[in-house]
Amino acid sequence: MDNAGRRKFLVTLLAGGGAAAAAAAAWPLYRYLAPAGGGSAAAVVVIPENEVNEGQAKFFQYAGSAAVLVRKRGGELIALSAVCTHLGCIVQWVNEKQEFLCPCHAGLYSAEGAVLSGPPPKPLAPIPFKVAGGTIRVGEVA
Amino acid sequence: MNGKGFFGCLAALLIAMALLFTPVAVLAAGGTQIVCITCHGTLTGKFGEPVKLWQGSVHAENGIACNGCHGGDPADAANAMSPARGFLGAPKETAIPAFCGRCHVGVEKEYRASAHGRALGRGGPTCVTCHGNHRVVKASLELINEKSCSRCHGFERARLIREAMAETEGQMAAIDGRIALFRGRGVDTDRLEKGLFALRNSYRALFHNVDVELVRKESTRIQGELKVLERVLQGVDETERKRKLAGVAAVAGALLAALLFHLLKKSYD
Amino acid sequence: MKLFRQLVNWIDVRIGVGELVEKELTGYLLPRNINAWYSLGSILLTAFAIQVVTGILLLVYYVPDADKAFASVTAIMNNVPFGWLVRLLHAVGSNMMVLALLLHMLSVLWMGSYKRPRELNWLSGFILFNLVTGACLTGYLLPWSQLSFWATTVATNSVGAIPVVGGHLVEFLRGGKLVGAPTLGRFFALHVAVIPLIIGALVGAHLFLLQRIGVSSPPFGLDDTTNRWQGDVFRYESHPGGIPFVPNYLLQDLTSIFVYLACFLAVVFFDPYLFFPKEAFSPANPYLTPAHIKPEWYFLPNYQTLKIFPSELLGLAVQGVAMTLLALLPFLDRGGERHPLKRPLFRIGYVGGILLWLGLMVWGHYS
Repeated sequence: MDNAGRRKFLVTLLAGGGAAAAAAAAWPLYRYLAPAGGGSAAAVVVIPENEVNEGQAKFFQYAGSAAVLVRKRGGELIALSAVCTHLGCIVQWVNEKQEFLCPCHAGLYSAEGAVLSGPPPKPLAPIPFKVAGGTIRVGEVA
Repeated sequence: MNGKGFFGCLAALLIAMALLFTPVAVLAAGGTQIVCITCHGTLTGKFGEPVKLWQGSVHAENGIACNGCHGGDPADAANAMSPARGFLGAPKETAIPAFCGRCHVGVEKEYRASAHGRALGRGGPTCVTCHGNHRVVKASLELINEKSCSRCHGFERARLIREAMAETEGQMAAIDGRIALFRGRGVDTDRLEKGLFALRNSYRALFHNVDVELVRKESTRIQGELKVLERVLQGVDETERKRKLAGVAAVAGALLAALLFHLLKKSYD
Repeated sequence: MKLFRQLVNWIDVRIGVGELVEKELTGYLLPRNINAWYSLGSILLTAFAIQVVTGILLLVYYVPDADKAFASVTAIMNNVPFGWLVRLLHAVGSNMMVLALLLHMLSVLWMGSYKRPRELNWLSGFILFNLVTGACLTGYLLPWSQLSFWATTVATNSVGAIPVVGGHLVEFLRGGKLVGAPTLGRFFALHVAVIPLIIGALVGAHLFLLQRIGVSSPPFGLDDTTNRWQGDVFRYESHPGGIPFVPNYLLQDLTSIFVYLACFLAVVFFDPYLFFPKEAFSPANPYLTPAHIKPEWYFLPNYQTLKIFPSELLGLAVQGVAMTLLALLPFLDRGGERHPLKRPLFRIGYVGGILLWLGLMVWGHYS
């Protein structure tokens, strides 16, 4: 009789522990399989259009990293990551040549971000943006 | 024990050599052949020396070989040193900053603006005066030393710059060490590494200006940016701490379950 | 509760669950002197189940493409919520499973349970051990790290020591002259489909054999420890008056499983880097051989054996002979005595073998 009572107690404890363990395992499993959150809305950077003059570049922080907006001669706007794809230095805008130059190892990119020469393995990553009502909204898909 | 048992013992002895499928042999040598080294590596004196020096350089460490600076064709022995293939040979002293500056553009710019750069060709130092020739060493505080600087001038000003840089350099070295530690544990440190690399480069390029005030001013700015990296590292630390706490709970839970099952089993004995 | 009992009854009258439970679980009697080592089999079943579940979960995010594999594993470790946990459970789990397997084999050896009529149990178990190490070896390549790449290069290279066909065999294994994208493709297929299926089938066969022949008695605490099997007709080895599998031994199994899980989770949460040198976290670079690349701990004795013999072929042959002898052990060792303390020669071989294996492992680690 004593044994039966002890058994009942132990089984209850184990059932409770089992339920807790199952719940503790189910949460990571759910999070693991849940779709990744978009979160793009929060990352939008708003820049007045008149801050980027023709032939010039404007550097700013976007998604925790350096980015740049360029208005080419002729008026076309381009937004790129300003992080050199070689070793991560921040590229500089060379106004006379309308090119990006990385000061660390002379990686050269066109205004569109394509690699012209030097060690960079990949072009500068483009960033989506939208122009509306005199402002440039970087991070929003047009 | 009968005679046949002996085979059993023998086999048991050989348990140590378990596994037929996974033997191991010599490692294949990696890398591509560079004809410059094939040839110059066997030469002696001034024609062979650069190879030995280069092998200990930061360039060799990062896979920048002879042709990276001297041009030419490293794959074609007959035309390796043909000017038609872009071979440059050794630059004259006054051409050294431009030679190195083809890659190190930022540094060259700061250097040319400095007292060092302005004295180029009139006894002023070039890149190789401090960084060495062929055995090119990475920029570090150790390069600014009394012996080296006093070849041309007193050490006082250089000491001031070195002192101004010491704290920031130490901070960068500490962050570097922590990043390496995390990388060795599978943390994705790519962005941190690139961030630190960029900061260190702009900081060290700046040094070439040899302007004490500028170095002091920029140190404050760089230290601020380093703080951002440190905060990211602290975040990783915090995550690891939380995981360990979860681990304590998981291990304790498993042990408790084992104990309860054991007690339950005893109740049936 | 009443509804539940009605449901059970409804099923029972149709398929006879009660009889099945009585015959296979509560009425399934085990020797009175059975010990905790017998629960290693259940531990291994649990460990295998964990590998299957975590493996399937990893498949959700892993990309078996030489250009993307490393990045996908890095993303699992860093970006996917709890991906680090799933990955570590899988990687550490494989090591812990090999450890449990070795203990299972050693306890079976020590208690003489491999002896007739259980030759087929031993053989199927031995093949399972090889398959598990095969799963480990093929899984090792998948993260496409420096460690993966070079450990696989080294492991596949040694097959080249086999005369005549060696060179061709290496190329066939790799799917090319060197380890590369084609190797990843075939190792991936082996790791996630072929080997697990064969392991599953063989585990079934192993359990079927156990069920048919009956559980062996440990030789401890008995007066007569000679093998009483006669070999004339099939006889199920029953244990009248023994302890029931359910609930008694099932509770021992569960106790052991949770002790194992506690050890396993302790490694996963506190020092998973026991099994990860830092090369495991840099991407594969076919042009840069890292210094001191070593195979996993359980392959170190093989690695060292190959190194001490003057020719690779000889080293390979010695291992082949050793493995064959070990696989055929119950056919060679036909002595009737089962108690290890009454088998001095066996004891020397057993302890000497373990020491030799450990010695080679340590030597391989420091060489």
